[in-house]
Amino acid sequence: MISSIWTEKYRPSKFYELVGQDEIVKRVESLTNSMNIPHLLFAGPAGTGKSSLALIVVKELYGQNWHENYLELNASDERGINIVREKVKNFARTKSLGKVPFKIIFLDEADALTPEAQQALRRTMENYSSTCRFVLSCNYSSKIIDPIQSRCAIFRFKLLEKKDIEKYLMDIVKRENLTISPESMEIIYEGSEGDCRRATNLLQATASISPNITPELVSTIISNAKPKDIKVVLDYALAGDFQKAREKLLDVMLKESISGQDVIKSIQKEIWNLPVEPELKVKLTEKTGETEFRIVEGSDPFIQLQALLASFVLAGLGKE
Amino acid sequence: MSPWVERHRPKYFSEVKGQDEAIYKIRRFLEEFNSEKSKKAIVLHGSPGIGKTTIAHVIAKETDSELFELNASDFRDKKRLEEILKPAIEQKSLLNKNKIILVDEVDGISSTDRGGLPELLSLIETSTFPILITANDIWDSKLSPLRKKSELIQLKEIDYKTIKDVLIWILRKEKHFIDNEVLTKIAIQAKGDLRAAINDLQTISEMQDSSKVTFDERNKEVDIFNAMKLIFKGRATESTLKLFDSVNMSIDEIILWIEENIPMEYSGKELARAYELLSKTDLFKGRIYKQQYWRFLVYENIFLSYGISSVKKNAKTGFTTYKRPTRILKIWMNNQRTAKKKSIAIKYAEYCHIAQKRAMKEFPIIKQIINSNPSISKELKLDNEELEYLRG
Repeated sequence: MISSIWTEKYRPSKFYELVGQDEIVKRVESLTNSMNIPHLLFAGPAGTGKSSLALIVVKELYGQNWHENYLELNASDERGINIVREKVKNFARTKSLGKVPFKIIFLDEADALTPEAQQALRRTMENYSSTCRFVLSCNYSSKIIDPIQSRCAIFRFKLLEKKDIEKYLMDIVKRENLTISPESMEIIYEGSEGDCRRATNLLQATASISPNITPELVSTIISNAKPKDIKVVLDYALAGDFQKAREKLLDVMLKESISGQDVIKSIQKEIWNLPVEPELKVKLTEKTGETEFRIVEGSDPFIQLQALLASFVLAGLGKE
Repeated sequence: MSPWVERHRPKYFSEVKGQDEAIYKIRRFLEEFNSEKSKKAIVLHGSPGIGKTTIAHVIAKETDSELFELNASDFRDKKRLEEILKPAIEQKSLLNKNKIILVDEVDGISSTDRGGLPELLSLIETSTFPILITANDIWDSKLSPLRKKSELIQLKEIDYKTIKDVLIWILRKEKHFIDNEVLTKIAIQAKGDLRAAINDLQTISEMQDSSKVTFDERNKEVDIFNAMKLIFKGRATESTLKLFDSVNMSIDEIILWIEENIPMEYSGKELARAYELLSKTDLFKGRIYKQQYWRFLVYENIFLSYGISSVKKNAKTGFTTYKRPTRILKIWMNNQRTAKKKSIAIKYAEYCHIAQKRAMKEFPIIKQIINSNPSISKELKLDNEELEYLRG
């Protein structure tokens, strides 16, 4: 079945389709052809082809039966040692089906694993090396403990350049019968921050409104996707409307599911952008610092934040 | 017109909701009764309104037994138990049926019921019939000998979803309609007490416009509104300090009430000062949790009562409608919403080989994409509730 989600529909399925990582692709392809791959470590930013390359390897190796011989886990969702002890070991324990003598475990975002879990993983990699190969992916290889790094062949994925993403997107544009201007392409690229998956999603989200991809449409989609910021809360408070400020604060915290500590962090940064006297900035920062301390020490961050807003109201009225 | 609680009291096991496990245990107890190891009595315990007495009646009916009941309205001293309960325990049923003895609300056997408990214990020994006993609090020290002699079965508080189902079932039979949101509210406010929920339901059903209805939480808020008035309107006096002793509510709940209502009365400097004190209150609350140093409670109480009251220059007049704290409900409702968002993100993440966390972060775009093409939701195997969430 061909997926209707473009990140899947247009996910490269052959080595030559992967854009922007020519060197790596060449090396991995020859390893795959020899049917004897070592453990692999793919390091690099999001959306540069790590998961895609792993999937290509697996499909090349096992053909139709790839599902039985492949386990994909995401370490950022389950970071503890149990993921290694249960899922990984259970899968690694049994032999592979078919002519390839090993199975493959793809551990995505392995840098999110706790050091403890990584230690457990290290032993597992050795004990099951006869039946299993690991492909680890991570954003920062420095967060992977040395013993694991030394057991893997390391591949560093580059951030995709504009021309790579453009090439990939233009192919989709053609096949989906879209029209796009260079300007829109530029905005999508900026919004994607070099993440090809995100770029594809932005393109599909925009195309879901109109096949004519205009800069305005793209910008709307991007700004809708941004989390609502805390500034509006401060604006209300400094204008003296405590009730509104407090209501908005709860709203933002719940909708974006951000913690009290995240909120205080952005308030602290936002103070420097406020149109107020330097002396007041310092005073507000003092209050904010005290509030952050109380959030850590107290029990209910929302009460502390309200107290802060109340003092901002006072400051806004020029009474303190 | 009989109260709904009576009219819709379950008659069969199938109508008793939310207590399957307890019912299973009771049936097994009855089946094994009179075997060697079995105990003679069973204590059904748990908070009010969850079905203890109802279950006892249903069991008698379903097992075609005669029920002999003794409850708190009866005197239960040694003499009465001897006179009334003893014969019942010794005589066969008149109708030649099985017999079940029900001693309802055993923790209500008071100190004036002299010798009542010891007598009950000795009757349990000799009984040839199963004895069902109900109690709210079986851990009361005076009941400790009873605990040893009987099998204990705890009945669970009923979760709000089950309560809501029962409310809907009753409404259907009564041919009444009440707004879904109101039903949810009733079910949550009942805090596991099904009887309370049904009573609230009946009260509300008799009103004209049930969507605008607010109702009192059982026996708690009678004085909290008054307490708010005394704090926010009046001057701080010595009696303000002791105010919360007479409010039947935990200090944590009172904190939420104060939090909600400060801006109803105070503004400017008073507002800031009041929140400063509330902030300190919370600070001490955190310190108590972390250090288990309970004397800090003194400061919590002083700031919250006298402190918050003292921030105003003059006593206030006029009428203020104080509000029930809404934050907890908002958080709860948001969690319900987030739960659906999360289950969609999980499906998407697995299908598209990315982390759930990333799917959550990029949810607005993902939502836009899923909504654009119905075949995507089929691919992801989204269920109806998830689809509804996406549409909303």
